[in-house]
Amino acid sequence: MSANVKQAAAPKPRPNQLGLKGWVYAGRYSIERYLYILHRLSGLGLIAYLLLHIVETGQRLAGEAAWTGLMAMFEAPLFKVLEYVVFAGFIFHGLNGIRLHFTELGFFLGKPAQPIYPYRSSVKRHRPFTFVLMGLAALLLILGASSFFFS
Amino acid sequence: MRETRLWFLSLTCTSLIIVLLGLHFAIMHYAPVFTGQTIEEARSFQVMLERGRDVAQFVVYILFLAAALYHGLYSLRGIIIELPVARGRARLVGRGLLLIGLVFFAYGTYVTWWTFATK
Repeated sequence: MSANVKQAAAPKPRPNQLGLKGWVYAGRYSIERYLYILHRLSGLGLIAYLLLHIVETGQRLAGEAAWTGLMAMFEAPLFKVLEYVVFAGFIFHGLNGIRLHFTELGFFLGKPAQPIYPYRSSVKRHRPFTFVLMGLAALLLILGASSFFFS
Repeated sequence: MRETRLWFLSLTCTSLIIVLLGLHFAIMHYAPVFTGQTIEEARSFQVMLERGRDVAQFVVYILFLAAALYHGLYSLRGIIIELPVARGRARLVGRGLLLIGLVFFAYGTYVTWWTFATK
């Protein structure tokens, strides 16, 4: 082989040119793409909450009075609403996470098939499962709201 | 291979979190249904200390803390290094988040241990 033959250069990884904007819109996004955005946003909210929650539970080190005062503060309507938002975040993130787990492991995607029109992609085969899980999330959010605000 | 292992660990953590978070919700937020206590009772200082002295609770909370911190911060790392601003700084981001995770894990473990050991 000639030494002059240049080796094909390995393709360089393409930078993420869209950045944050690409999360929201980069064309015709499907339902799954919007679930992905919600999954990220809820995940970011939950990690912020987790760190705050660790600091908050540490208040027990300051004694009973500090702890009771903190718990009394959480009884305020604003904190009830925020607590419900966190609950909603957990429910959505958890159930959508289960969907992603199943996708990752190849469940509910169907078997590979010839691309014959009308095309039926694995995403479409997976969609009923998505609707079931999101329906369950909606049900739990309604039940949670009744428990948070009306019990 | 290293990235695959980290991803698999995160996936394992999510399974653990779903179970442990379910338990946490049952004990703290659905106390009237699962433990017969009111929410206020479940959050009271004495009940919280009593709960924290249980070995099973201690183990569950340490596992929960580790799994939630790992999954949360690993995912945050993924989001940050995907952004153009972080190009070439992946290692720095990873180490910074690891440090944050270790600090919060140490503090959370200390608080859980303090509750467990308080008479």
